[in-house]
Parts: sequence; C-alpha cells; structure tokens
Amino acid sequence: MDSTEESSSPTSESSNTTTMDKDLHSTFAELMFHLLPSPYESQEINHLTLAYFVISSLDILNSLNRVEKDAIANWVLSFQVHPGTKADPNNGQFYGFHGSRTSQFPPDDNGVLLHNHSHLASTYCALAILKIVGYDLSNVDSELMLASMRNLQQPDGSFMPIHIGGETDLRFVYCAAAICFMLDNWSGMDKEKAKDYILNCQSYDGGFGLVPGAESHGGGTYCAIASLRLMGFIVDNLLSSCDSSLINVPLLLEWIVQRQGMDGGFQGRPNKATDTCYAFWIGSVLKILGAGNFVDNKALRRFLLTCQYKYGGFSKFPGEFPDLYHSYYGFTAFSLLEEFGLKSLCSELGITETAAKGL
Amino acid sequence: MASGSSEVVEQEQERVMLRDRPEWSDVTPVPQDDGPCPVVPIKYSEEFAEVMDYFRAVFLADERSPRALSLTAEAIHFNAGNYTVWHFRRLLLESLKIDLHDELEFVQRIAADNSKNYQIWHHRRWVAEKLGPDARNAELQFTKKVLSVDAKHYHAWSHRQWVLQALGGWEDELDYCSELLEQDIFNNSAWNQRHFVITKSPLLGGLEAMRESEVLYTIKAINAYPENESSWRYLRGLYKDETTSWANDPQVSSICLKILSAKSNYFALSTLLDLICHGYQPNQDIRDAIEALKIPDLDTQDLDIARTICSILEKVDPIRVNYWTWRKSRLPHVA
Repeated sequence: MDSTEESSSPTSESSNTTTMDKDLHSTFAELMFHLLPSPYESQEINHLTLAYFVISSLDILNSLNRVEKDAIANWVLSFQVHPGTKADPNNGQFYGFHGSRTSQFPPDDNGVLLHNHSHLASTYCALAILKIVGYDLSNVDSELMLASMRNLQQPDGSFMPIHIGGETDLRFVYCAAAICFMLDNWSGMDKEKAKDYILNCQSYDGGFGLVPGAESHGGGTYCAIASLRLMGFIVDNLLSSCDSSLINVPLLLEWIVQRQGMDGGFQGRPNKATDTCYAFWIGSVLKILGAGNFVDNKALRRFLLTCQYKYGGFSKFPGEFPDLYHSYYGFTAFSLLEEFGLKSLCSELGITETAAKGL
Repeated sequence: MASGSSEVVEQEQERVMLRDRPEWSDVTPVPQDDGPCPVVPIKYSEEFAEVMDYFRAVFLADERSPRALSLTAEAIHFNAGNYTVWHFRRLLLESLKIDLHDELEFVQRIAADNSKNYQIWHHRRWVAEKLGPDARNAELQFTKKVLSVDAKHYHAWSHRQWVLQALGGWEDELDYCSELLEQDIFNNSAWNQRHFVITKSPLLGGLEAMRESEVLYTIKAINAYPENESSWRYLRGLYKDETTSWANDPQVSSICLKILSAKSNYFALSTLLDLICHGYQPNQDIRDAIEALKIPDLDTQDLDIARTICSILEKVDPIRVNYWTWRKSRLPHVA
C-alpha cells in the first residue's frame, strides 16, 4: 500500500530528527480514525486493514483511550458473515469477516446469503482489532469460521485468501496461523502441511520468498518465521536453544543481519533501498530469533527519524509524505526499539502485548 | 464485444457521471450501507461513491451485459484491488464469451498505473490459464516489458516463474538472466531467477550438473564487484546443503584469497569464516592475507584464524559488531 498523496515535496518542512514525537503521532492517528482522506478510497477494499493500522497505532502510542472501544467492536463485528440458513462448512466457502462494505452484500429476501466474499486477511485484522479493544473472542462465533477455513488451504499447504479464488502465498499462511492462534483453536488448518509449504519457501540465501522459488524478501521472511513461531514449530529465542533442525538458521541469520544498510535503515531484499516498513518485518524476525542486538539499533532509530513527518506519521523514504502503512510500521519499529512511552509489541501477532494477552 | 477498455481511456479525458449517461438511466444505484456507527470512515469522492453504487446494482441483479463489463473496468480504475469487482468481471468475461486475448491487453493497460497490485496479477494468471500454452509467449513478453521498467518487480518475477513452470518457455531464460545481470550485476532478482532456472529447467541438468559452469560465472562476477552481496549468496547457493563440497572447493577459498589480498572485504571474510566453520583448513597464503588485515589494536595473542577473522569483522563491519562477537563466542575453543 503506497502513499497516494502527490502534491509538493515536503523536504522544505524539516522534521524533528532527534525525538520520536509520540503526541504528534497520536494526533495523526486520531485524525485518521475520525476520517481517512479521499486518496484512501483506492484501498477501500481493505477498509478493515486500514482500520487495523489506525487502531493498533493508537494502542501502541498509548492513546486508545481517545476512541470508543465499544463502537469499534460493534463495527468490526458487523463485517462477520452470518449465513442465513444452516451453512455446511464443507460447501467450499469460507465463513469469516468481510474486509469492506463494497465486498459485503446482505442476504436476499429469503434470507439466503448469495454473496460471501469474506477474506482471510480481513478476518485476521478483524480479530486483531477486537483483541486490541479488549473484546472477548470467545464471544465470536468461531466454530463455522474455523471449520470452513480449511476450505482455503491448498494441497501444498498454502492458503487462498478467499474461496472465489485468489493468489496463494505466505501472507495467507500467516493470516491463518494468526487466526488460529488468537482463537486458540488449530482445527482451522493443517499445521504440518502449512509448515512444509513454509520450508519450501526458504531460498538458497537463507531468507524466505512469498512462494517457493521466489526471491527472499523481508515480508515473506516475517510471515514464515512468525507463522512457525505461532504454530509452535520454533521456540522463542531460537538462537539460544541451538535447535536449528527445521530451518537453516545460520543461513537465515547471515541474510537477515545483512539487511541493515549503511544509512541504518532496513531493506527488504539485497541491493534495494532501505524503507521504514522493513524495520518491522526484519526487526520482528530478529526479535523472534533472539538476535535483536545483532544490528545497530541506534543507527536504525536515526534512520527512522529521518522518515518522521513534521505533522505526524512516517514515510517510506526520508523526505516524503507519510502514509498510513509506513506510519504504522514506523510506530511498531519504535516499539521494538523500546521507545519510552510506547507499549511493547507482540511481534508475532502484530498487536501490543497487552492486546495479545487480553488484559 | 469490446472489453470496455476504450471507455476507460475516455474517462481519463472527460468523465461523465453515470447518472448523466442515457445508457444507464434504467438502473437505480444502490447506496453503500455503512451501518449505524461507522468507524474509520473514508471520505469518498463523488465519482467513487457513484461507480460503486452502480456496481452494487448490477452485481446484485447479476446483470451479465457489456455495459456491466464496462462498469467493472471503471470500478477497477478507482480501486484496482477490489477482488469482488474482479470476480464479477471474470464471470462476465465467461458469460459474454469475450476473447481473452483482448483481456490480456486490458490487464496490460491497467498494470501501467497499478503494477504493484496482487489482483491484477491474479487476473492475468487466470486469463493465461484459460488461454493455455498459447499464452506462453505473450506472458513472457508481458513480464519482460514490466521488468524492463523495473527489473526487480516482485509480482512480475513471480508471474514469470509460474509461466515457465505451467506453460514452458525455458529455452532462453538463462540467457535472459545473463542479459539482466550484464545491465545490472547487483540485481538480486535476476540472480534468484538464475538459481530458479538452473534448478528447475527441464532443459538443463539440474543444480549439480550446472555447478561447474555457474561457479565460474559467479566468480567472474565476484571478481568484478566484490562488494556485491548477491553474487556471494549465489555462490553459496550452488552448493545447497553440500557443505563439505562448499568448504573444500578450492575455487571458493581462492576467490576469497584473491579479494582479501587486495583489501578487506566483508563478504570474503564472512565466506572464509563460513568455510572454516565447515571444515576448511586454511593454507599459508590465506593465513598471511588475514595477518595483513589485522588492525594494530586487535588482540594479537589470538592465534586462531577464525577468531581473528571475527575480530577483524567486528572492526570493519561496526553495524553488526554484536553479531560478530556472538559468532566468535560460538567458535569451538582452540586448546
């Protein structure tokens, strides 16, 4: 999701390059909460994802008290698919959450749900938001959701995001694993098959691509490692335990520490530009492995501050306008850096630790 | 029947609202139901809201018509990621029996402004699958075109890999990789594709058969640009899990020596460290080269070459100093 704002360059606006301005970012997030500007309509299909970015931002910034949690929960729940008549979990459909109003249609006059475009990533975002606002997930009707989620898993272990057809790659394996983890119920997927697919995505250089054969990539590597962790196939702080039988850990480690560039930022792939969001994707993998200290966190912080915008938010590269995606991952990155005043992050789930624990 | 693409071009010049178009006068748009208390609302533009209101109408009516097809093109223009719209478009293409060759062109046009979009590529793949082996050349051409603008385009590479595996066309792929690497030896995507070709192509002998020639190719690349991470990773990748072959191949240690004799180099040093950890016994030339790289304030008591390499790396690669310290701590202790 890229910035769609394209007016004059903001380079004349020098931003504060020494302090992470928490209050400014809270205001930015709050403004977004009340209204997403018109350019975001081109991402409307991912409305729940945009909401997740905003609400999780507020949580990380310790500013969730600025918004109405009940209203959020009710709104999110309104996206859940409720089949009118008794639905058969084996009819091939997935009964999850829709991602937006443009993909959500009411049942017909006879109460039959003709159009079900619920989506795996939207379901992940929905449950994540519910956890953030403290909604008890045992109140979510999850039995049909999990049983039908299996319909999205492919023979090779990967997941399709939506039963009407879509691309299959590691992103949706991650969503499935996160959904099962949050609901504490693994009946929704075949973990062994998913694990096999993940392992097939490890490239010759140690990183993970989004599909087998694809170039290793920061986002793909995050999805792989976070999924394995959530499914319990790798332990926390892997480096200390010497248990490297499942994935080639030394090779992965070599690859991942090399993602930090001379400017202190992280890149997603070798010989590509550093970008704010990789501070989360790569930073999280380092944390999960127990290798968070193997990179120069001071230099990373300096880089991130060059992407901080004077009026709040973070941009992809220094000197550009901010967008919600890079702002969110900027906030998560500062949380991983243990910035004072920010809540700590459960990097595997992409929400704060307090949200993950349900406190 | 035309795929409605010409109407998209018209829109960009001077867009007429749907409510002002006579051909849509019989349709009642269906407004979006945002529910009682919408959260994180989007400030929709009038055009966006209207297109989606009309889309909802035709979708709910399941109207399989040319104008519905045109409408999906307009809706895609406003939100190229909308999978509901794409799905309906596919239903229409089938119902109206549209020539899918035209659809390939439509995707090409949309991709010009939206190339980093999963739904476009998924749609392209769906069309190609329907067209079958005949689509092969068009797909290879299309991805080549995208890659000529952005040689590291992730979606294009994924699609190209799928085309090769599903539809074939491997003949020129290794040459294509070489061509791209000639243009930019730092293109990690091209190196990855090279690995993909030598391991998966039914026309070549597989990784082991290709290893010899590929090692020569890669060493040449390393020689030219020893600071290029991609080539070093590729070299390592040629040995896969055969760490003994990797450690004992004299070509590998030689290139490290050659590079290090000239100057300190992160990848040569870490490769050497890797070799030693996998059983390689460094010769005197290597020891001398490392000796020459020692920085005066280093702990000169350290006779273990692996520890020395780690110490040098701690100094020449300060960003990752803690990683090298950790690597040093993991080395087996020398008596």
